[in-house]
Amino acid sequence: MKKKSKSVFFIVTFLILALTYTTFFGISTTYGDIKKTYVKSAADIRWGIDIRGGVDVTFTPPEGTDATDTQMDAAQSVIETRLVGQNITDYEIYTDYKNDRIVVRFPWKEDETDFNPEEAIKELGATALLTFREGYNVDSSGKPTGVTAENVILEGSDVKSASVGVDNDNEIVVLLDLESSGKEKFSEATGRLKGQIISIWMDDTCISYPKVSNQITDGSASISGGFTADEAKSLANQINSGALPFKLETQNYSSINPKLGTDAKDAMVLAGLLGYIAVAIFMVLYYRVPGFVAAIGLMGQATASVAAVSGYFPFVPSFTLTLPGIAGIILSIGFGVDANVITSERIKEELKTGKTLDGSISAGYERGFSAIFDGNVTSIIIALILMGAYGAPDSFMAKALTPFFFMFGPTTAGAIYSFGYTLLIGVICNFIFGVTASRLMLKSISKFSFLRKPWLYGGAK
Amino acid sequence: MKKFDFIKNRKIYFAISGCIILIGILASFVLGVELDIQFKGGSIVTYSYVGDVDLEKVESVVEDAIGATVTVNNSEDLSSDAKYLMVTLASDTGLSADQQEAMTNAVTEAFPDNAIDVYSSQSVNPTMGSEFFVKSIIAVALAAVLIIIYVALRFKRIGGWSAGVMGIVALFHDVFVVYTVFVLFRMPLDANFIAVVLTILGFSINDTIVIYDRIRENKKLFGNKMDVAQLTNLSINQSMTRSVNTSLNTLFTMIIVCIIALIGNLDSIMSFSLPMVFGLISGVYSTICIAGPLWVTWQEHKLKKKAA
Repeated sequence: MKKKSKSVFFIVTFLILALTYTTFFGISTTYGDIKKTYVKSAADIRWGIDIRGGVDVTFTPPEGTDATDTQMDAAQSVIETRLVGQNITDYEIYTDYKNDRIVVRFPWKEDETDFNPEEAIKELGATALLTFREGYNVDSSGKPTGVTAENVILEGSDVKSASVGVDNDNEIVVLLDLESSGKEKFSEATGRLKGQIISIWMDDTCISYPKVSNQITDGSASISGGFTADEAKSLANQINSGALPFKLETQNYSSINPKLGTDAKDAMVLAGLLGYIAVAIFMVLYYRVPGFVAAIGLMGQATASVAAVSGYFPFVPSFTLTLPGIAGIILSIGFGVDANVITSERIKEELKTGKTLDGSISAGYERGFSAIFDGNVTSIIIALILMGAYGAPDSFMAKALTPFFFMFGPTTAGAIYSFGYTLLIGVICNFIFGVTASRLMLKSISKFSFLRKPWLYGGAK
Repeated sequence: MKKFDFIKNRKIYFAISGCIILIGILASFVLGVELDIQFKGGSIVTYSYVGDVDLEKVESVVEDAIGATVTVNNSEDLSSDAKYLMVTLASDTGLSADQQEAMTNAVTEAFPDNAIDVYSSQSVNPTMGSEFFVKSIIAVALAAVLIIIYVALRFKRIGGWSAGVMGIVALFHDVFVVYTVFVLFRMPLDANFIAVVLTILGFSINDTIVIYDRIRENKKLFGNKMDVAQLTNLSINQSMTRSVNTSLNTLFTMIIVCIIALIGNLDSIMSFSLPMVFGLISGVYSTICIAGPLWVTWQEHKLKKKAA
């Protein structure tokens, strides 16, 4: 019995060390050239654009324009198509239909030395040039050549609208409704090109290349191609963009050079490391054995916070970490220190009243807990409000707090959301490591006969 | 251990806090409160460059290019030789991407030998800026209200509502100190201000809760054998080492962040960590010297009323 409880300290310490090692280095095997990752490491953390550089921009229709939801969807699909066209796939985009805003965030492209944010913003917001072209002749870079480049059948203004529908065979199709200006041209082309391809382009990107099966004389056509509902919706939005009566404007954007962000990240990581060392030294010198246990517990807490953003745990999706997010981790370590200080102080007090060592340790954790609990719950309240106020509109907390923030659209200050998230995770980890793990460790380590002097716990010599 | 009588000296503490608040108010009128462009709208573009650049010339080149008044500042990185130019638009309107491109082209053409490059840029539409500001204020207010409710429920035994309200008074004290730091150091109020305020909110209420927790426990132990002042004083003294030690630990970390931010010229981190340092100090002070004594004053006032 006694032997078993002694080993608890080593088991918990080993688990924390193992968690720390695997969190920072991950688990992967390499056979020849193939690397298989079982557990993601700290290197897999997705950094926010304030760290790795990038652009955060809000597009709006010109003042006085009240865009419909369909128009906003079309505008969003223009931006998405162009982002992908520029090889930017790691973007975030959301549309606020009420205030007619589209918020886009995308990182600096990797290996890009001469990135021009103004150019990128301008390109994304420019009026989309939608064209229906004869055939599908492209050059090596995917741009139209030959007859496809020369013969434009329809332009965006010839299209009235596109929508998703179902044809007679119950297949999902995109329905096309043309303006009278397009009817004649389309009828001529479909008659002439029966059995051939008419390709549809946004700027220099081909979005579809259907084969003409019938001549379309009445200006309403359907495009079939085994679409899923999402694919059809996406194509309809893209085609609708050609008929957008406005150009997107930008008055709200920020761009950050990757060097600025990386410097800041390195500074914060260094500060976190130095801070941890300073705290650990203080705790060991001031509280001795409980302080030593606290230092191990804090390592576990900090590591678990990192693991929660890197995608280490399969059930916690990886999360974009921003500078305020790192601040949140550092701060939750402060709360973690507090939990340990409260308990250690309590143990000291109990020893002074003449209790035995084991009795004092038990009483210390028991009596200290209500203060730690209440303190942590208030932190959770703050963290949840931050997540609700600054989260993406489709996030859970944002929806839960809609009654309070309903009059606001999504803000672009997503960085603060990350602060709330890491604070929340940190507080939860504090319950696990600062309270439970450290109690297990302290109770077990105090069984060793050479560590049973009350002085080592703050009692009299 | 030496015991301090915090209740006896409470008038001194109230006076000190009164002075700090007065300084804050005076400073806001004398120095003025600056809102960051995140809140009020506007544009600021930072360029990195090498060698020497005539700031006045930059100003005139930019003004010619975009036809608007700007101010130009520069700064240097202490850890590397990097130099930065900050161009701030005088008006509160956002700069369009076209205008910014014209500006960048004009500057790079005028100073071809200085390797000028866009380092960071921010342009905020005034409507969206003020929306962001109001939203932030609501977030802070909502947090404060929920905390009062929580404290009131958890500390029913010691008169929950008064405990909650006094905790919040101590909070506003700390928030005001953070605000005063922003004003005195001429840092514009930005998203970092909100982040610091919310963090200090958490820390300060956490501190206060530890003392209330002790009062709650002592009340259970001693019942009516002690009066409110004695009970509170005992509780503050018992938990003081903890308050001071915890804050010292967090303070270490934040001071380290400050030093690193200073060396690396990281303004965005400096405007977070410096007010945090002051907020933390204020947090301990307000917990020990304001929240507890103020609560005693309230309770005594209630007793007197009952007796009368």
